[in-house]
Amino acid sequence: MVEFVVPEPDYDRYSNRQLAAVPLALLALALLVLAGWYLMTGAPVTPGIEFTGGTEIQIATDASQTEVRQAFDFEPDSVQPVAGSNEFIVTTQSADNEAIRSQAESAGYEIVSIQTRSASFGADAQRLALMGIAVAFVGMSILIFVLFRSFVPSLAVVLSAFSDIIIPLALMNLFGIKLSLGSVAALLMLIGYSVDSDILLNNHILRRRGSFYESTYRAMQTGVTMTVTSISAMTVMYIVSSLFKIPLLPDLAIVLVFGLVVDLMNTYMMNLSLLRWYKYEGVAR
Amino acid sequence: MNLRDNWRIIMLTVFVLASTFALFGPASAPDADVNNSSSVGASTDPTNLKYGLELAGGSRIRAPLVGTTAENLDIEQDNRADIRSTVASEMDVGGGDVNVRLNTENGDAVEVLERNVSEQRLRAALEAAGVGTEDATVRSGVTGETRQQTVETIQAKINRGGLSGGTVTDQRSATGDHFVVVDVPNANTTQVLDLIGDQGEVRVVAHYPVSGDNGTEYRNQTVLTNRQLERSQIGVADTDRNGRPMVPITLQEEDAQNYSQALVDTGFTSSEATGGQRCRYREQPSDSGYCLYTVLDGEIVYAASLNSNLAESIESGEFEKAPTFQMQTTSMDEAQSLQVNLRAGALPTELATDEGTVLFLQQSLGDRFKSRALLTGLIAWLAVSGMVFLRYKNPRVALPMLMTAAAEVYILLGFAAAIGLPLNLSYIAGFIAVIGTGVDDLLIIADEILNEGEIATGRVFQNRFRKAFWVIGAAAVTTIIAMSPLAFLSLGDLQGFAIVTIVGVLIGVLVTRPAYGDVLRNLMLNQQQRE
Repeated sequence: MVEFVVPEPDYDRYSNRQLAAVPLALLALALLVLAGWYLMTGAPVTPGIEFTGGTEIQIATDASQTEVRQAFDFEPDSVQPVAGSNEFIVTTQSADNEAIRSQAESAGYEIVSIQTRSASFGADAQRLALMGIAVAFVGMSILIFVLFRSFVPSLAVVLSAFSDIIIPLALMNLFGIKLSLGSVAALLMLIGYSVDSDILLNNHILRRRGSFYESTYRAMQTGVTMTVTSISAMTVMYIVSSLFKIPLLPDLAIVLVFGLVVDLMNTYMMNLSLLRWYKYEGVAR
Repeated sequence: MNLRDNWRIIMLTVFVLASTFALFGPASAPDADVNNSSSVGASTDPTNLKYGLELAGGSRIRAPLVGTTAENLDIEQDNRADIRSTVASEMDVGGGDVNVRLNTENGDAVEVLERNVSEQRLRAALEAAGVGTEDATVRSGVTGETRQQTVETIQAKINRGGLSGGTVTDQRSATGDHFVVVDVPNANTTQVLDLIGDQGEVRVVAHYPVSGDNGTEYRNQTVLTNRQLERSQIGVADTDRNGRPMVPITLQEEDAQNYSQALVDTGFTSSEATGGQRCRYREQPSDSGYCLYTVLDGEIVYAASLNSNLAESIESGEFEKAPTFQMQTTSMDEAQSLQVNLRAGALPTELATDEGTVLFLQQSLGDRFKSRALLTGLIAWLAVSGMVFLRYKNPRVALPMLMTAAAEVYILLGFAAAIGLPLNLSYIAGFIAVIGTGVDDLLIIADEILNEGEIATGRVFQNRFRKAFWVIGAAAVTTIIAMSPLAFLSLGDLQGFAIVTIVGVLIGVLVTRPAYGDVLRNLMLNQQQRE
């Protein structure tokens, strides 16, 4: 039978600098990707139609994908078939609900669903979403500093959570995933999730008896199980919900997978190196 | 089993039972008032759960109201009428499109219910009306009073237009903008927009020839305003003796007097108007003779002569004693829509649908999302189960853990059923977030209690439990803080997700997850004793 045992890394072999270098380099790279994206497209992440405004229409027809693409006056952003049915999902930047409805009807398509957002509404939603993430992050940071009441361990948690959001954002650009309500929900969930394993690690190292490495390993046994369990659940959810074409869930799942994988690295390399430095050198100062 | 030691398990049991009652018991209170819940319980669904549009199908229109409002003005009660007419003429809009409202949340206000009103022009018009605008703030949107009236009128139209179960609410976004949200299950967008997309203002206009110096010219005079029609008694759309569709209307006494006077003055009761110069709008719109137009939102929807019997009864004064007449239409559908417009009244202002969102979903697609989302959730739960079994191998640890995670979702569903929360896809994302944090916490509790192989009892157990709880509590508070901006800022679509996550984390931390600690201790002690 397959065994799931959390391996014990040999941390002694690496210096704090070496440990922190990889996550910090990746964080820097991610920031670079976001900055480059911002310079090229005017936004750090490409917003989806929920934030730019536009229409998503799901139609049932026996026509082919090419025929569907040509049936509308506008150039569709994408035409995706829904697996296991004769349906297509067409997205476009056009927010003229009435025109799109009548074009679909005159082409003989059955409208299964249609959703239109005006550009101004989308822009408002985007501002709110970003504000929500920012407020959530600041609130979380304040809480962490209050809970641990010491600078370096708190900073380790906050920095790791920051990286857990930034790297998935960069990955979204690389994989062509647009910012949607699902990915915003995932980014918010990441703030909560990523902090779980960090708090656990800090708590074991700072507030428990036992040697540094013993405490670390004990925290890792629980923490890695937590994260790996979530990753497996979200991977499965991504596959199933993409096949089923359920809105919201695939974006949410894939961004969470990105974030949780990144969190494993950040927690047990960056956060750990900062804690080790704090425990052996920082406190002594 | 010691009750005092196991009070957490008892509490969990009570919550599960309460959820069962909420989910499967006799339908609870929110069901009684269908108009106030934005969903319909599918008849095939054995539970009391309510589903929102994304899972039940239907139409949602969310849009701001057309208008521009100047606030923080200082207006004397007596000058209201003057200001209204001056602003209307300065802005070149109808008098009905300007309102002067005193003592709103932001001082006195003047609103112009038209599209594309420039701030500059409104300020200039106010200055011209003698209202100082130095301290005034001008924003797009309408006053709270108008918004309230509009919401009530839309609700009335939806109820009377035969779209059952529709709800209308006023939603405020975090940026301070207001949106009117109209949810109608089992209706498509066209049906809803036909009913409420326009203001639905009905007037009766007399169109008649006057011979002047340059030959015959036509004049228009409104003989029945929307206000007069709204306060009269509107009958049920029906067909008259000749099988033509119509709506019977009984005017108020005073309105009847004015109406008949106006018709007599304009010559509609003359033998010419009911004879040789009868309305021939359909054949010759430019030279139509004596026509009474039924005007809906500025468009002529019907034109007819005054019925000769009615003309006689107006001349003789009979009409004023029993002021009932029939407003004719070309089709029964039109008669019904006219009846709705007259009974519910005109909207004070239009919905700016091009600045909002429009959603339509077939019920079958909603059903598909429902079953598939449930299946997705189950598969994700199985993935979690697999990992937990691989990690602990002992079913005494793993089984209760999975049961607890399931109980958490069950209680949350019970909560949703009890308060009549209409479930949407974003709520399902919330359930997933709750299971996620739940399993994390259960792992922390299990590892803490099983620490070093010894099963703790008494004070040691309490101590370890408290240690685990510190981490869980801290993580829970972080999650709640992360979600609260969305829950309280009212970001529409993600609000449900945030609320479910917060409630779920609270139920988890206060009820289910602590109970797991007790269950685990009991089971492990049993195992030890047997060994």
